[in-house]
Order: sequence, then C-alpha cells, then structure tokens
Amino acid sequence: MKPEEHAWRKLEAHASSQLRGGFADRVVRTARGPHEDTWRELLGAGARQLRPGFAGRVIRAARAAAEMPSLGSQFALSAATAAVCLGAALFLHHHRAEAADEHNLAVWQEIVAVAHDDDAGIGL
Amino acid sequence: MESTSPTELADLVRRAQKGDESAQRDLVVAYQHRVAGFVYAMTGRSDYVEDLAQQVFIKMIRALDRLQAPAQFESWLFRLARNTCIDQLRRQKLRRIFLPFGEEHENIPEPPGAVDSEELDALRHALAQLRPQDRALLALVQEGRSHAEIAEILETSVAAVKARLHRAREHLREHYQPQHET
Repeated sequence: MKPEEHAWRKLEAHASSQLRGGFADRVVRTARGPHEDTWRELLGAGARQLRPGFAGRVIRAARAAAEMPSLGSQFALSAATAAVCLGAALFLHHHRAEAADEHNLAVWQEIVAVAHDDDAGIGL
Repeated sequence: MESTSPTELADLVRRAQKGDESAQRDLVVAYQHRVAGFVYAMTGRSDYVEDLAQQVFIKMIRALDRLQAPAQFESWLFRLARNTCIDQLRRQKLRRIFLPFGEEHENIPEPPGAVDSEELDALRHALAQLRPQDRALLALVQEGRSHAEIAEILETSVAAVKARLHRAREHLREHYQPQHET
C-alpha cells in the first residue's frame, strides 16, 4: 500500500468515527422530510388538546354571541336616538320661538294702541 | 367524518343552516378533532388549540347560512380555520411589535408532556420556521384536501398551489432535523 493510500484510509476512518450511530437513517429521514406518521402524530396531538364537552361549549358560546346585539344594530339604535333628540330639540326651539314671537307681537300691538290713544288725546 | 357520505353531510349542513342546534352540534363533533389538529399544525401551540378551534366553530355557526353549496362545506370550514389562525398569528406579531416583550417571551416552550416524540418536536420546529401560508398549505394536504380544493380555499389556481407546495416541502425538508440541538 502506498503511503498516501494509507493516509487516506486513516483520514476516512477518522472522519467516519465522527458520525454518530444511525447516521444513514437520519440522512434518509431528513432528506424525505417528516413521515406520514409524524404528521398524524402532530394532528392527533392537536386534537387531544380539546377538553371534553367541547361541542357543548361551542354551541353555548355561539348562542350567547347571537344574543349579543351586533355592531350595526348598536349603531342604528344610537343614530335613531340622536335623530329623536334632534327632532325634540328642534320642535321645542320652534315652539318657544313661536311663543316668544306671539308675546312680542302682543306687546308691540299694545304699545301701538297706547301710541294711537296718546296721539288721539293730543289731538294730532 | 369518514363514515358520513357526501349526501348525509350535505343534509346535515342544510339542517344546521336552518338553525337546527343538534345538527350544528353534530357538525362540531364530526370536525372538532380535524380542526384542532389543523390549528396545532398552524400555531405550534397546544394552549391555543381549544380557544382557536372554538372561534372557528362559532364563526362556522354564525356564517353557515351564507354557505351557498353545502357540498363545499369542508373546504369552506378549513378556509375559516386557516383565516382564523393567520389572524391570530398576525395579532401575535403586532403584540410583539407594540409590547416591550423580553427575548424570553418570544418562544414560550410547550408545557411538559405536550411534545410526545423527537420526530414530532422536529416537525413542530420545522413548521415554525415556515410562513403561516406555507404551514397552512402543508397542513391542508395532510388534511386530505386535493390540489383543486386547496386552490379554492386559498382562492388561487391549481398550478400556483402545486408550485407553492413544492417550495413549502423543500423548506420543510431544509428545517426538518429530527435530532436537532435546541
């Protein structure tokens, strides 16, 4: 055996001693990616996280969520309340302004009547 | 739901659409384990499974009357599950941006006993390295969805699904190290 061949053999022996047992299996497993069983194990592990009575809890939560007023209906109620308040304020304002006008007009009519009486008294 | 024929399933969906509570319950019971598995594959967090699965089924019950074709119920349900998980992952990402979390909160370890085997741990680790969209793609394949169904769920073409699936599998293989040091 030539000296360099001997050196190569030693190098190979040293290199292969660095590999842990089951190297070939690990390489093949890694190259193939996760096995179907591992995927099944993963999905099964997820399924096992559900506590018993899950379906009942879902139905109760869905019912409670359905009974809660929706965002749209809450907005509609707020808009209706605001419209009613605005209508009432406008009505009151109109009513008061009308009453004030009537009162002012009566006062002016009184003043005019008094002025007429005074004019007549003076004999203009 | 292996024991139920497509006709029986469509009938069950129709009854649930009309508000029949026992039909809604049957649908939840029939799909709860598959949806939970899908949620776990998407999030990698066992403490999220029950909460997210519940969100998926509540959305299902509330939106069932808008499902036009009862025959497409499964695809529709898994689209809801995918969107719910992606929303949750986005919210989680936003929280990380806005809250002053320490590095130790970035990867909360699974509680003891949650990880059953080295391969499962490696798969969870590899999935965590992928984009949520790719995780969804791989989980949908494992769920038994066809390329056409996945294309419908993701609202894309079959060719795009095949290309994305190929890339997702490549990425998964790159990160899948059953004896990785953590």
